[in-house]
Amino acid sequence: MQPDCNLEMLMARYQQGDFAAATALVECATPQLHRFFLAQLGSRADAEDLLQETWLRIHKVRHTHRPGEPVLPWLYAIARHIRVDHYRKVARTGARARELEARAKGTFADSGQFESAHNLEALLAPLSSGEREVIEMLKVAGMSLEEVARATSSSVGSVKQKAHRAYKKLRERISAMGLAQRQSAKTQSGGPS
Amino acid sequence: MNEPEMDDLLRASAPAPGTLDPALLKRIADSIERPVRPVRPLPPSWLLTAGAVLICAGVALAGAARAGFFGFLKMDVFERALIFSALALLIPVAGSEFVHAMIPGSRRRLSSGALLITATAILAGVLAILFRDYQTSRFFSAGIACLATGFAHAVPAGLLAWLLLRRGFAVNYVSAGLAAGALGGLAGVGMLELHCPNFQAAHVLVWHLAIVPLSAGAGALLARALGSRRPASPRNRG
Repeated sequence: MQPDCNLEMLMARYQQGDFAAATALVECATPQLHRFFLAQLGSRADAEDLLQETWLRIHKVRHTHRPGEPVLPWLYAIARHIRVDHYRKVARTGARARELEARAKGTFADSGQFESAHNLEALLAPLSSGEREVIEMLKVAGMSLEEVARATSSSVGSVKQKAHRAYKKLRERISAMGLAQRQSAKTQSGGPS
Repeated sequence: MNEPEMDDLLRASAPAPGTLDPALLKRIADSIERPVRPVRPLPPSWLLTAGAVLICAGVALAGAARAGFFGFLKMDVFERALIFSALALLIPVAGSEFVHAMIPGSRRRLSSGALLITATAILAGVLAILFRDYQTSRFFSAGIACLATGFAHAVPAGLLAWLLLRRGFAVNYVSAGLAAGALGGLAGVGMLELHCPNFQAAHVLVWHLAIVPLSAGAGALLARALGSRRPASPRNRG
C-alpha cells in the first residue's frame, strides 16, 4: 500500500459522495487486494476478475463501514466473501479442473510472478484453507492479529491458534523441502531473500 | 529454522505486488457509478444490538401476554431471577453477535456455532438446577405443543432482527443465519418460560431448550438458501 494512503479518511469521503476519494481508495487498496487474490488463486485473470467484483460489491455496501473502524479488515472481509463465492461457483460448475489446467499452462503475465505464486502454493500446500488464509494475511499482507481476526470474522485467540498450527506444519514442510538450509545460507550471505 | 527466517521465506515466496495494469485500475474506477451517491453509515453496534434485544423481549412478552403468564406466575422468586437473568445475559450476547455477523470487518468474540453451544449449555445448566420434577407425563403431546409455540415465536423474532439489519451485509450467510436463528430461539424460550406451567425437568430440558438449536438450524438453512439464490454480480472482464 502507498505510504501516503489514509484509508479511513478516503473511506469517509467516499461515503460522503466524493468520487476523487473513491478513485484514490481504489488506487491505494487495489495492489494489496490483487496480491491477496493472486496468492489464493494463482491465475492473474481470475484475480483481476475477482478484484473487479470486489470493488463492485464494496461500492454497493460502502454504507456498512462505520467511521472510526479500520478499513483494511473491512475490505478484506468483502474480498474474502467474494473469493469464497468464487470457490463455490467453481466447485458447482466443475471449472476447477479447467482453472488448474490454465494455471499449469502459465496464465501469469510475467514468469517471475508465476514462480512466486507457485512457490507459495507449494509451501502452503499442507495447510488447511483457514490456516493458509491466516498466514497469507499475517505474513504476506502484513496485517496485525486484530485486523486478521476482523477480516475473518473470528477472535484473536482463534487467529493465534491457527497461526501456531500453521507454523508447526510449515516447519515440517520446510524441512521436508530442504528449504531451511538454503534460507539460512541466504541470510548469512546477506543476499536478497 | 526460526520464526523470523520462516517469515522471510514466506515473504520471498509470495507473489510480488508488482505494478498493476493502469487499465485495470481505470476499469475499476469507471465501474463506480457517477455521481457517487452519499450514503448514511450503519448506526453504532450498541444501538443495533439494543434494537435486536427489544425485538426479542417484545415478541416474548407479546406472545406470553396473548397466551397467559402461567409459567411466570407459578415460579418462585429464585426461579424467576435465575431463568430471566440467564436470558437477559444471553439475548444481548446473541444480539451483538448477530449484529457483528452482519457488518463486514467487525470484531467477533464468539463464532455463531460457539454462541449456539454456549447459549444452549447455559440454559440447560440453569433449567437442570431449577427443575427437579422427573415425571414424564404427556411427554410428547405437551412437548410438541410447546416446541411449536416456541418456534412460532422464534421465527418472527429472528425475521424482525434480520429486518432491522437489512442494510447490513453478511460475509458469511450461514453464520449470520445461525446467529439470527439462535437469537430468535432465545426469544422463543423466553416466551415459553413466561407462559408454560409444565415444570417437569424432561419437558423443559428437551422441548423448551430444543427451540434454540432448531431455530438456529432453520436460520442457517434459510440464509444458505437465500445466499445461493442471490444473483451473481456482473463481471466486466475487459
